[in-house]
Order: sequence, then C-alpha cells, then structure tokens
Amino acid sequence: MSIELITLILFISLFALIFSGIPLAFALGSVSIIFTFIFLGTSSLYLLASRTSGAMFNYIMIAVPLFMFMANVLEKSGLADDLYHAFHIWMGPIRGGLAIGTVLICTAMAAMSGVSAAAVLTMGIIAVPAMIRRGYDKSIVLGSTMAGGALGQLIPPSVLMVVYGGMAGVSVGKMFMGGVFPGLLLSGLFILYIAIRCFFQKELGPALPKEEREKITWGMKFRALRAIILPTLLIISVLGSIFYGIATPTEAAAIGALGSVICGLIYRRLTWDLLRNACLNTLKSTCMVMWIMIGSLLFVSFYFGVGGADFVKETLVGLKVDRWVIILGMQLTIFFLGCLMDPAGIVLLCTPLYIPIIKALGFDPLWFGVLFIVNLEMSYLTPPFGYNLFYMKSIAPEGVTMADIYRSVTPFVLLQGAGLVLCMVFPELILWLPSIMVAK
Amino acid sequence: MSFWSLETIDRINDRVGRVVSLLVMGIIGITIWEVTLRYGFNRPTIWVHETSEHLFAISFLLGGAYTLSKGGHVRVDVLYLRLPPKKRAALDVYTSVFFFIFIGLLLYLGIGMAWESVSVLERSQTPWGPYIFHVILMVPVAAFLMLLQGIANLVRDWRRYRGEGR
Repeated sequence: MSIELITLILFISLFALIFSGIPLAFALGSVSIIFTFIFLGTSSLYLLASRTSGAMFNYIMIAVPLFMFMANVLEKSGLADDLYHAFHIWMGPIRGGLAIGTVLICTAMAAMSGVSAAAVLTMGIIAVPAMIRRGYDKSIVLGSTMAGGALGQLIPPSVLMVVYGGMAGVSVGKMFMGGVFPGLLLSGLFILYIAIRCFFQKELGPALPKEEREKITWGMKFRALRAIILPTLLIISVLGSIFYGIATPTEAAAIGALGSVICGLIYRRLTWDLLRNACLNTLKSTCMVMWIMIGSLLFVSFYFGVGGADFVKETLVGLKVDRWVIILGMQLTIFFLGCLMDPAGIVLLCTPLYIPIIKALGFDPLWFGVLFIVNLEMSYLTPPFGYNLFYMKSIAPEGVTMADIYRSVTPFVLLQGAGLVLCMVFPELILWLPSIMVAK
Repeated sequence: MSFWSLETIDRINDRVGRVVSLLVMGIIGITIWEVTLRYGFNRPTIWVHETSEHLFAISFLLGGAYTLSKGGHVRVDVLYLRLPPKKRAALDVYTSVFFFIFIGLLLYLGIGMAWESVSVLERSQTPWGPYIFHVILMVPVAAFLMLLQGIANLVRDWRRYRGEGR
C-alpha cells in the first residue's frame, strides 16, 4: 500500500478514535499497535517495548513533575494573598488598576510556576470576587484573570516547554529564555488594553473611592512591598540558575520545589495534608502527560517506520509555496486543535511530526517551539476545550455564568493572536535572550 | 463488600498511587543533595541523575492505573459530552476494545522484556552502572494494574449501559 493511503487511513482512524472520547494516550497507543501489526508485522511490535523505555529513562522530563509540585504547593502557600494585598494598595487608585494588578501578579506567578492552573485558581478566588465587589465589569475581571493565568506556560518555567524540549531535542533552558520576552509582550498588551479601556470607560474599572484612598498611608504602601521579597528570591533562584548555567532545568525545578515548600513554611500554611495533596495532583498530571508521551512515541515509531517523515517533508517542500505559508498552516492547525484538545497532548502529538518539516524549511526549532507555546496560550481560553474556562467556572463567584466567561475572553484571545504575529515578524523577540545565555 | 469486588481494584490502585506519589519528594530531596554537594563541596555525585530517572519512571508507570481510576487521562470530550449518559456508556464499552488492545499488548511484551532483564539482573551501561531490571519489571506490573482498573471501569460502564446504577 502506498504511503499516501497509509497516511490518510492512519490519521482518519486516529482522529476518529480521539473524538469518540477515549483518552488520548490509549487512542495513540492502540492505533499505533494495530497499524504496526498490519503493516510492519509481528516482529516490529517489539519496538513497543523499547519505545516505552525511551519515555522511562528520560532525565529532561523529570522537570515536569517537579514544576507541577512547585505550582501545587505555591498555590496553597498564601503567597498570592499577600501579593494581591500589595497590588491592591499600590494600583487601586488607578482606573482599572486592580485588573492591571491581577495581570501583574499572574505574570509574577508565571515566573514561579510552570502551569496555568496555579494563577487562575488563586487569583480567581482572591481577586475576582474583590474586583466584582468594587464594581469592576465582569468581562474585564474574568478575561484579565484567565488571560493572565495562561501566561504560566509561556513565561518560564513552563511544563509545556519541557515537554517540547524533550520531544524535539531542543535545550529546555533556551526554550525558557526564549519565552521571557514573548511572555512580557503579552502581559504588556493585556495591561495596555485594560488601561486604555478603563481610562475611557471608567465604569468598567472604577478607581478606589476617595475615602478609601485616603486611608492608605505611605507606611502601609512600603510594608506591603514585603510581599514581593519571597517571589523575587524564588524567581531569581530558579531562572537565574538556568540562565547562568549553574543548574540544569531539572535541578532548577527541584530548587524551586524546595523554595515553594519554604514559602509555605514562612507563611505557616504548610501541612502534611497540603504536601500529600500536592503529590497526588502532581502524580495525576504527570501520568497523564507521560502516558500520552508513550503513545506518541509509538505513533511516531510506526509512522516514521513506514517512511512517513520523508513523505510529509517531500510533500510539503514539493508544494512550491512560500515556507511562511506552511508555518501559517501549522499555526492554524495548532489553533484549531487548541480549541478541542489538551495543550500538552497537542505538543506531544504535533512536535514529532512538525520538527522534521521545520528543519527542512530552514527554520530554527527553538524559535518554532516558543511560537508553538505562544499559540497554545490561546488554547487555554478558546472554547469548547479551554482549561482556564473550566478552572474559572469551578471557582467563580455566584452570578457568573458560562456565557460571561466565554464572552470575556474574546479581546484577550485577539491580543494573544497579535502577540503571535509579532513573534513571527520579529523573531528576535524570541531568539535574543537565548543567544546571550551563559549556559551552553 | 466482598474481597472480590470492583472496590478492591479501586483500593489497590488508590494505595499504589498514594505511595508512588510520594516519590516526587524523594527526587526533589536527592537533586537538592546533588546541587549542594557540587557547589558546596565540589563533589558531584554519580548516582543522583540515574536514581531520579528510576524514581520518576516507577512513579509514572505505577501511577497510570491510579490516574485511570480517577479519570485523569485526558480525552477530547467535545462530541462525547453531547451524548445522553446511556449512549456514552455504550460508547465507552465499545471503545474499551482499543484500550485492551493497547494494555494487553503492553502487558504481553512487558513480561517478555522484564523476563529478559530480570534473568540477567540487567544493569545500566554507565560508569555507575546501577541495576535497572527492577525498573523494567514495573512495565508489566503497571500494565497489569491498568488492566485491572480497565476491567473495573468496563464492568461499571456495562452496568450503566444496562441501567443498573453504579
């Protein structure tokens, strides 16, 4: 059978299975096994065993549970409450200031944790009810919190970047540094948008009333600043050690995890229960990712085994279209998958298929990887499957409907799209920081 | 509740999950130890790197069944959730065939792989050269636990489909 036909049947079967609702990991695994059996024969099934060990003995991927553990502990450490208090005092007097403050806190939390859940869940509980009480417009409140939370995957550390690095063979440390400016760019765009809208429509985000403003003294302001000491130390120890090549990303993740436990101790929130739950949540998310990785490795092993890599490469290169058209096509595919699928699943599924093409077209896999993550920022906000929408719904105060949540994300998704375009037009946004890194 | 009930399977996997979930703290601990020795005493270890790989592999392999029992393996449920509960159960029963193909084969091949590894007490090919047969042995063990949990889930889906409650 020709490779064209195999490709067609393979992808139709895979997507049929995925959409019938069986977990992604088992859809990938079973399709690969059945196809290997039919097209390559029983002897090739032994590849399965050796592929599984490719996921098992994998030092890079250890950073995934470590960063997840760190985020799980930080979420409950009480650090976010203090940060919110500080931003409330400093930013409250400005129109839209609390929403801007929320984005800033999310940015800071993104630099401390590699997942999006931590920021959305903490800010959703602390900041959202507080802002709604002060008459902020629901759309601004919900949108800024969810969009800010998504930054967790773009601003290093980032679990998705570890997964991409592990699959593509790109340095995770460089991916992290590549995400810094795109992350700050998106955060800046969100803040600008909130500031401009609230400046002209002051009913969207009213400043604190005068009597409340007068109660805030300079002494209070400076005491509140203590809240940023611990986060700053944590960010410097994790990202600094990666930037200067002192520690591998996996080691930096362990340092960060220890740091989060110390934060919990300082805020006197650390309990055995908290640690046990953090471990269990970490295990669940890690297993989810790693079993998809096993499935994905099997899938790649079959498809490349029948010559799929060359086929895809030759077809796309033979299309005689500009290479940027292909990049745009890939970005659109990622965007649509992002509406339907788990972001880590998308990275595990697409990376092995896209990387040979990217290399053949002469693009930098590091640049493409960060672009990939910028694109996946949108997947956290786009219905029907957007994690931050679910997180928000699970903790939103009464009176917030799913329709409110859906409506609130539109401007922020557009801003994320604008950020993606900027990163394509100006690759330096991504590539400059990794190029001056001290680590090799 | 008899010993041979679906709850026994849940309980086993819950217990296994709770135990292996703690390994992440072990990885954090030994990695910090390594960084401290390297910078504090200029004496890097040779065992931390591989030991953390082993702890990691054991935890995510054995945790797979725990994750399955908690519904943690992510699925694309856009279409799935539109079905009425009874049809959903029927679909789950049908698609479980694919789950069993995957896990059944993983179990079969895993046993072969583990047999080879255990019979020679396999070590890794590094300067430290620790045993790795016990890690490889976890592949069939993990597949077996997943198989048990898959069977428990299938029975439940079947009961839901027949409208027999839980």
